[in-house]
Amino acid sequence: MKGPDVSWYLTLSAFLFAIGVLGVLLRRNPLIVLLSLEIMLNSANLALIGFARHLGDTSGQVFALAVMAVAASEVVVGLGLIVALNRNRIALDVDRLNTLRG
Amino acid sequence: MITAAWICLLSPLAAALLITLGGTRLTRRLAGYLATLSVLVSFVAALVTLFLLLDEPAEERSHASTLWTWLSAGDFEAGLSILVDPLSVFMMLVVSGVGFLIVAYSIGYMDRSDEERRYFAYMALFVFSMLLLVQSGDLLILLAGWGLVGLCSYLLIGYEQERPAAIAAAKKAFIMNAFGDATMALALFLLIQRLGTLEYGGVFAQIDTVGGWAMTLIALGLLGGAVAKSAQIPLHTWLPDAMEGPTPVSALIHAATMVVAGAFLLVRLNPVFEQAPRIQDLAAGLGAITLLVAGLIALVQTDIKRVIAYSTMSQIGYMFLGAGLTAYGNSMFHLMTHAFFKALLFLGAGIVIHALVGNQEMRNMGGLGRMLPKTYTAMLIGALALVGIPPLAGFFSKDPLLAAALDAGAYGQVLWAVGLAGTFLTGLYAFRMIFIVFGGEPSPFAREHLHRPGHTMPALWMAWTVGALTVLSVIGGWIQFSPFWHPLTDFLDPVAAPGVEPSGLQDAVTSVLSVGLGAVGIGVAWWIYSARRAAVPRFAFGQRVLEHRFYFDELYDAVFYRPAAWLAAAAIRLVEGPLIAGSIQGVTEGARLLATRVTEAQTGLLRTYALALGSGAAILTLVFLAVRA
Repeated sequence: MKGPDVSWYLTLSAFLFAIGVLGVLLRRNPLIVLLSLEIMLNSANLALIGFARHLGDTSGQVFALAVMAVAASEVVVGLGLIVALNRNRIALDVDRLNTLRG
Repeated sequence: MITAAWICLLSPLAAALLITLGGTRLTRRLAGYLATLSVLVSFVAALVTLFLLLDEPAEERSHASTLWTWLSAGDFEAGLSILVDPLSVFMMLVVSGVGFLIVAYSIGYMDRSDEERRYFAYMALFVFSMLLLVQSGDLLILLAGWGLVGLCSYLLIGYEQERPAAIAAAKKAFIMNAFGDATMALALFLLIQRLGTLEYGGVFAQIDTVGGWAMTLIALGLLGGAVAKSAQIPLHTWLPDAMEGPTPVSALIHAATMVVAGAFLLVRLNPVFEQAPRIQDLAAGLGAITLLVAGLIALVQTDIKRVIAYSTMSQIGYMFLGAGLTAYGNSMFHLMTHAFFKALLFLGAGIVIHALVGNQEMRNMGGLGRMLPKTYTAMLIGALALVGIPPLAGFFSKDPLLAAALDAGAYGQVLWAVGLAGTFLTGLYAFRMIFIVFGGEPSPFAREHLHRPGHTMPALWMAWTVGALTVLSVIGGWIQFSPFWHPLTDFLDPVAAPGVEPSGLQDAVTSVLSVGLGAVGIGVAWWIYSARRAAVPRFAFGQRVLEHRFYFDELYDAVFYRPAAWLAAAAIRLVEGPLIAGSIQGVTEGARLLATRVTEAQTGLLRTYALALGSGAAILTLVFLAVRA
């Protein structure tokens, strides 16, 4: 097997995931939050593919493809929401979108 | 023969179901005809059974038949079984024969009451239950019949649902009978534990192996059931109140059949009771006390039906006396003649009540002898038969029963004396009623309200059944005249062999004394109530005691009702309020408090949720890693 060891991929994936989590938690712009979510999803994809390669099992790659499909549809919904917010001249700040509570 | 017995049992049930399911598709009168016909079918079937049974040699006259086994638990099995033997056939004949006459009478009596269908369905159901009781081949089926007749009694006492008194009386009867049912059930549990069977044959064969306190308890429990059902002291207070039911119901259930089930039980289970002679003595003693107390109370009653009800209690006291002293044949013979003349008295009273538009108060009656001469004759014959004046039915059955007591040792002689005192009372109260109701000049109330029964269809139904019972009250006793002629005792002998055999002298002495005392009672009643040569004696204390019926109701009220009501009130105050209601309130308030706390976590801020999710996932991951390591 060529290329780096699987631990490298996993480390990179963990870094990307942490960056995504921090982005979701710290940033207030919904667009950035959405981007951070995408980063988290793709870090998971990286881990899946890394394992698939390490174990020589293609089902990890299939999972990654499925995650991409979900991510794509999620982006569609998320961007749609952001565009709708902007059209209604609502401030793009997740902390101020807090009216949905019991 | 078995088939005939099953037909006898099931025919009234079929009628009850048909009337119930048919509902308004049957006319009211058709319901009455249907019920009457079904009981007549039962009677004919019982007759067929009797003749087939008589064809067999005496010692082979016992046939058990099981339809199916409906309960099986371990070694214990109970089947839907009947037993055809002389005793059960005898009871089948009495129940279906007298039952037929009374149900036929009801067609007239209940005419134009609003809910005849319900009435006749109950009546047919009652006859079925009573036949189940007497035909049972198994103590469990006996108990089922026992409970069913109690249910029918409840339904029919409370038939006039709009009258609170009727409802109260129905409840009283049901509860007091439930007490007896419970002691009986406990006795059956003991029997199952000791013998593992409830089938008559099995129980009678092994009963001598029980012995000891268990035997006493079993007999006592069974006696409790008999005492409650037969309204003997101390469980008698429901019977006078049961007179709230329609008069034919009083005649059928509370005079002729159901209330004598206790005496039947003592005879049916005589091998069991003979293992506990002290309980038998107790039964005889209770019967003696009841016959005396009920006779005394009957002296001061002013409601015509209650007089007859107390008379019934008193006569069942005689049956208990006889059955307790092992004079089984005589006891059953008295049961039969009593069914005839007591049904006659009740149905006659029903005609009087009808003629006076529902009035039962004897103080309003008087001089009806001239207005209702035929009813007067019938009631007179019934009363004479009740007192035991020859050659009417009561003479042939009551006197040998008392003579048998004379043969049963010192205890028996005491009871014999009590029984003789009872005949005096019987003469007195029976003819007090006759003279007040029928003697003298017509009372103003009677003149104003009397409407003479015409020759309409309902009146004719009532007339011919009363006529038939009058004839039976005259000739019904002739089938046996001990010591010369006793086919009934011989017929019952294989099932219930009497343990006492009075001599001819004892019989003669008892008969002379009993008839003499009865006649003296009648004479005193005539002296006071008809000739009016003497004022009604006044003993303020005695009268008050009698009018309060020896304070039994008051006693039970104080001993059972009040403490129970007090306990219930205390339970509401101390348990229901603070404990049950309080704990429920605590739960609701706790839930609400928790909810307000939890709501605070819901901020609406997306980032708090994300943080909670993320940290939760992180903690979980750490936990899993820690567990694996």
